[in-house]
This record gives sequence, structure tokens and C-alpha cells, in this order.
Amino acid sequence: MVVTLVTRDAARLEFPCASGQDVMAAAEAAGLYPPSMCHEGSCGLCQARVVDGAYEMGPHSAAALPAGPGGVLLCRCLPQGDLTVELPCTDAQVGRHKIPVREAVIEAMGPAGAGAVALTLRLKPHAELGLAADFIPGQYMELTIPGTEICRAYSLANLPNWDGRLDFIIRLVPGGAFSTWLSERAAVGDALNVRGPLGHFVLDEASPRPRCLVGGGCGMAPILSMLRHMADFQDSTPVHLIYGANREDELLSEEIETLRAALPQLEVTLSVWHPGPGWGGFAGTAAQALETYLADAADTPDIYVCGPPKMLDAVTAAARARGVPEAQIFAERVQS
Amino acid sequence: MFCFQCEQTSRADGVAGCHSAKGVCGKDETTADLQDVLIYQLKGLGQYSARLHKLGQPDWAADSFIMYGLFTTLTNVNFNRAVFMELIAEAARIRDRLRDAYEAASVKAGKVPEQLSGPARFEPSDTLPGLLAQANVASVRAGAEVVGEDVVGLRALVLYGLKGVAAYAHHAEVLGQAKDEIYAGIAHALDFLATDPVDINALLEEALALGHLNYAVMETLDAANTGNFGTPAPTSVRTTPVAGKAILVSGHDLRDLHNILEATKDKGINVYTHGEMLPAHGYPKLHAYPHLAGNYGGAWQNQQAEFAAFPGPIVMTSNCLIEPQASYRNRIFTAGPVGWPGIRHIKNDDYAQVVQAALAMPGFAETAPEKTILVGFARDTVLSVAGTVVDAVKSGAIKHFFLIGGCDGAAPGRNYYTDFADHAPKDTMVLTLGCGKYRFNTHDFGTIGGLPRLLDIGQCNDTYSAIQIALALANAFECGVNDLPLSLVVSWFEQKAAAVLLTLLALGVRNVRLGPSLPAFLTPTLLNVLVEKFGVLPITTADADIAASLNRQAA
Repeated sequence: MVVTLVTRDAARLEFPCASGQDVMAAAEAAGLYPPSMCHEGSCGLCQARVVDGAYEMGPHSAAALPAGPGGVLLCRCLPQGDLTVELPCTDAQVGRHKIPVREAVIEAMGPAGAGAVALTLRLKPHAELGLAADFIPGQYMELTIPGTEICRAYSLANLPNWDGRLDFIIRLVPGGAFSTWLSERAAVGDALNVRGPLGHFVLDEASPRPRCLVGGGCGMAPILSMLRHMADFQDSTPVHLIYGANREDELLSEEIETLRAALPQLEVTLSVWHPGPGWGGFAGTAAQALETYLADAADTPDIYVCGPPKMLDAVTAAARARGVPEAQIFAERVQS
Repeated sequence: MFCFQCEQTSRADGVAGCHSAKGVCGKDETTADLQDVLIYQLKGLGQYSARLHKLGQPDWAADSFIMYGLFTTLTNVNFNRAVFMELIAEAARIRDRLRDAYEAASVKAGKVPEQLSGPARFEPSDTLPGLLAQANVASVRAGAEVVGEDVVGLRALVLYGLKGVAAYAHHAEVLGQAKDEIYAGIAHALDFLATDPVDINALLEEALALGHLNYAVMETLDAANTGNFGTPAPTSVRTTPVAGKAILVSGHDLRDLHNILEATKDKGINVYTHGEMLPAHGYPKLHAYPHLAGNYGGAWQNQQAEFAAFPGPIVMTSNCLIEPQASYRNRIFTAGPVGWPGIRHIKNDDYAQVVQAALAMPGFAETAPEKTILVGFARDTVLSVAGTVVDAVKSGAIKHFFLIGGCDGAAPGRNYYTDFADHAPKDTMVLTLGCGKYRFNTHDFGTIGGLPRLLDIGQCNDTYSAIQIALALANAFECGVNDLPLSLVVSWFEQKAAAVLLTLLALGVRNVRLGPSLPAFLTPTLLNVLVEKFGVLPITTADADIAASLNRQAA
């Protein structure tokens, strides 16, 4: 079915709507955000008027419904066919989800444990966004190799800030396009395009449950960002970090020590898959370390895991086997 | 979870009250239950505090905490369960301190300390699941099957009116005006609620007593605002932006605005007001800051679109916050009792991060063509032209006064207030206050009797000013307020408005038109009492109600 919203200033916004989907959900799926608040038919902010087409109204408060024929609340309006709906607001008041593309300059590059590079970019001032480095901890940016159309996604490791600073941990993949450019040609001062922030791998701030964060390699970047955010807000939610690596020399031990100091309740399991002699920590995969942690855990935590596909599958399986519900597992996939 | 305190409470399919995973306002069931637990504890603190006041040994720090705690439970104030966990732990500590002080003070006065029961004895669990398991005792509907809906509804009216009282008293307190009688009045109301009262008359009496208390609180807040920032004067306010860096200040707290103006002095940043902060421009000491550039946007319910479009950081003070959108999550800050999980909260009046954000963001690129509105018609201004007003009434130039004000909100029915103000005859004057004004305050009302025909009296607490104006007019015409050619058309949304309504009823103001809907916590029996005893009227259509108001005067 097709829904057409007509704004007060005669803009026509068209988008598909599935059977059983309400108009507001369909609009938001299409990147359009008419004024809304409660999303449950009670506040009245999404009031509108159907001028053509059949619909049904889901449960709502009568006081929230506009009087007169065709009066609807978009969040409870279920089209039964194509629909034309008049909005009381202007086109400018309908939010659009814009993902900005901005220019950034390489400020620093350096080793981040064996086989990885810490890359710091500085965003150039932007007409609308100024010097804001705006993202939610856990999100990522798409970086484009200068002079090409090749882009790769990397999670942010730092915190949103007003200095335009973006920190990434880039795992060097032999033969990889971005890795090759980074190790062989990139230099401080080079400019590249950055698109974002993107992604839904973010902390559920309202959840009452303890957290278990699982990461490894370049999957550590969003995990570090989340932990830094908790430290910044002095969030006292119990949190356990499982930090997995193939070898000890991949671990970013200094970063972890800084975090431990800033976040008193943080517990850390360092797990190394192929440890050298003298390794006193957990020997095994991150999934195995999670198994061990869940066996003893008093409450089922929210689990945030970031890593390559095989690691995600193993961690998710271990979590599900221990009774962690699907809704409490937040996963972000990175290239291996 | 069960909550029915605000005007937009869920009434899906006729059942009133929010009782699922999330309230219409956005608070989740865990936060709602924790708020109930805190309120229960505050009743316990009230039990001890009321007795300490009677013994002449009040604990003002505890009383201040009680007011702040109540404020955090108003609609659209605090959504952060971590904050409530802390407040609950603190409330338990304060209860212990008050209990010890009460027992010592009793003994010293030669009395046997009472063994208090109910909320005074409550021991909160120290885990979240434990607290949620305890929350049932604290529900606003606790005991309903035994005492009936009318008693539940009246207890709710008393509690919600008390919340409004506490909120206004907190605003006065932070501006240096705290009064023992106010602390004692709040403690008394909590102590009363802790007895689980069942007598309808006693409950009604308490509600009216709160109305009187709120009058004293609004008077104190008026003194705090004028004492700190001067007597409001008619001021022209820009409603379109000027070029340059910008900060937006919303909510209700003038002290926070003043601190922000100080923190941003000479930094090349303009400060804009939003929502209920608009009346700030009328205060000479705030208006004196050249970088207080204007007002941006409208009432609270439009904040998501307005904040998203604003090219700078936002500070939400005290109350009226709804869920921050992703596009401005990192540039909105809260101050005072208001808060949202993951949103930065200002501590110790330190606005450094807000300044940093404002300097990093582009601000407005251009100065827009100037549009203005007039504010600042509080009691001193209006009474300074009382002679002109009285003459205009006597000559027939002004036939009637309409006070159209209160809270705004999103409900479609609120266009009634736009229609009312627009259709009010040209020989009537329109007074307004609260964010309900945004339904019509940019319209051209012209002049009447040589005065502006629309007078913006101020914030919702400036109902105090409106009452002084009415009393002065009644004096001049040697009649009662109810005999004046004056009609009150009050829109409500949350608990400050509930307190204001109780004040109007306590003062004997009749024929208040209340809307857009009537409180869900008032049963048909209770609504009948309001109608029969106080003449409260629901709204119908603007034209019908305008005619009825003018006819009542003619009668």
C-alpha cells in the first residue's frame, strides 16, 4: 500500500506501508519523522486527517483524536489500502534522517597492539554541525580512501566531543584496500571523506541489567567507546569486559588499565586463544570466557559483542545456551 | 505501573491511567514504580517532619530534600531510574535522622515519642528487584478495593496538588526564599496522606488547605523572582533569531537562566529562551544582558522538532522534558530536578561544557527579519495603569476580561484556546500566562482603551499576579472577584496547574472553565462536587463558551 502525506505547505511525501503497519512506523521506516511523542495514541501530537482511502484505528484516547471526518493519529492509523493524509504541520517540521558526509584530516597514526593501527582524524568545520564530532558510543563511520570510491566502516573508539576528533582502531588486513592505503600511502595531513554516524550497536541506557561487553581486535573500538562513556557519566551499572585476542601482544593493556581506574566496578577477563608460555590469564576464545562468566553470574546480563562473524556466532551460541534471551544480546559484525 | 496524574494520561478505549510498560510521557514502568516508592518514603519523612515542626525543631535540610524529591516525580521531569535509586537511599538515611531527632526532641519536651507506623517505618530494599517488589504498597491505587474510587481520587488530588506546591516552593528556595510555614505545610500534607485518610470532607478540606498554601508559595516565588531580577516591565521580545552562536534555555527556572547568562557573558554567544522561559525577558535584570537575544520556538510539546532545528546546545531546566532525539542527544543538558538516562546533567552550576558546545557549533548563519511579541504585564505593570483600565470598563471600551492560560500540550482539542482568543470580541481584553499562551500569542490583538489588548502576565506561577490584578479591580469596583466581568479559561497538563486550580478554588473563584479534558483521577462524584460547590465548568466550543461567559456577566 502507498501512503501519501500532504503537509500544510502542500509538500507530498509518499512511502510504502505494509499490512498491519501503522502510518507513523511506515513513515519512520522511510526516513520521515512527522511530529510524534507517545507512539501509543494518547498525546495527540501526530494528529492528522485522512482525505482519501480506508483505514482502521488501533487503541487510542478519544481526547487525543482530532474531531471531524477522517481525524486520525498517525501512530494508530492502519491503512486498508492506499491512503492520502493531510498533516497540520509544514514540510520543514517533518524530520528527515540525514547522514552527513564530512571532510576530515589525518592527525595521527600509530600502533595499537600488534597488527593494528590507532588512527586519529580531525573533522573540518561544517556549515551546520560546526566542530561537533557527534555520535552515540558504539556507532561507526564509513571512511573513503582518498581519490577512490572505496569505503570501509570502522567503529569509533573515543567519545562524542566538540573538537571534531574521531579515533579508530584499524585492524591491518594483509592485501586489504584500506589497510594497504593506511600502511603504505596515508600520511598525517591527508584529507578523506567520513560518512556517519551509523549503526544501532549502542548501550540500552534504560536497562536495569548488568552488562557484559565482549570484544577483540578491532571489535574493541566500540566496546572501548561504551566503557569510556560509562566512565564519563560515572555510570555505576555493574559491567564485565571479556577482551579476546589471538596472542597477548594484541591486547591494549594500557587502555584497559586507564578504564579500570576510571570505572571502579569494571571487571575484566583477558582471554588469549594462543597464549605464549607464562600467560596467567584465561586461555581460550572469548566465547569460552563468556561461558565461564555466565556460569557464575547471578543475573543474566545485557551482552554487547563486537567481532568477526565466527566469533559472534560462538558468543551468541554460548549466551543462548546459558539462557540469555535474544533481546538481551546486542551484536555488531566486523570484517575478520 | 499505574499513573494518571497528567492531562494526556492514557484513556485508550475508555480506561483511564497508564498501566503498561511505558507511560504516555515516556517514563518506563520501573521508573514509575521507583517514583511511587520515593513518594511513599517522603510521606514517612513528612510524618516525622510535621511533628518536629510542632516541637519547634524543624530540619530544614530534610524539608528541602522532601520538596526536591516531590519535584522529581512531576510529569516530564525525571526519567532516570539511577537518580531514583539514589534518592530512595538518601530518603532512608534522612528518615533515620529525623526519627532520632524527633525522639530526642520529644523527650526534651517531656513527651513520650509516638511510635509511628506506615511510611515512617518503611525500609527500602537495597536492590532494584527488591524495590520493585515493594512498590505495590506505594501505588496511587493502593487500597482502592477497600476505600473506593472517590477516596483514591481525592487522595490523588491532594498528592498531585502537593507536587505542584513543592515544585513552586523549590523554585523560590533556590532563589533564597524559603519559609518555615511552607516547609511545615508540605510536611503536614504528607503526614495527612500517611494516615491513609478515608473521610471525603477531610480530604476536600486538605485539598483546599493546599490551595491556600500554594497561594503563599506563589507569593513567595513572586517575591523571589522580583527580589532577584526586578519588577517585570513591558518588554518587546524578538521571536526570530539573530546571526551568531546560540544557546537555548527551556524549562522553568529563572535562577538557572541567570547563571547561564553570567557564564556566557562577553563570549559572543546569544541566549534564547524557549517555552515557559519566555517571561524572563520581562525582568529588568535579565533583560539587561544584551546577549539575551530573544525567544525561540513555542511550548514544550514541540521541543523535539524545535531542539533538532536549533543550531546550538540546549539547557532544559527544572521540568518539561520529553525524550531527547538522536540528533540532539549530545547537545542537550539538564539542570535541577529534571533528567534523562544518558543525557549530561549540569552539576554545581558549571556550564563550561555548554559554552564549549555553543562555540563549536555554527549558530545561526543569518539574522532573520525581526518579529516581536510583548511580555512583562505582571501585577505592577497592570496595576500602574489601573485607573486607565477602570475608566475603560466604566466607559464600556472594555466589556470583559478573559484570562486564557495555563499549560499547553499536544491534544487536538487545544485549538479551542486559539479559537477562544481569536474569537473573543474586540471590546474584550485577553490576559494570559503559562505556556498555553503559545496557542495565540503571535496573533495581532490590537489595542483597547489605549492599552495592548493581549497582556502576557508571565509564567504559570504568575497566577499570583493575575489574582492581585483581579483583587485590585474588585476593590476599585467595590465588588467580589466573582462579580467582575472576568472569565477564567484554564488549560492544564501537569501538577503545577493542579496546585494553581486548588488555589483558585480555595480563594472562592467560581466558574473556572477547565480543559481540554478533566483530570482522570476525578471520579464523576468528585467532578460533581467541583461543579456544584465551585462552579467549575468543562469546555464546550469556543464560541459557545465566549457567549456563555458574556451572558453570565450580563445576567
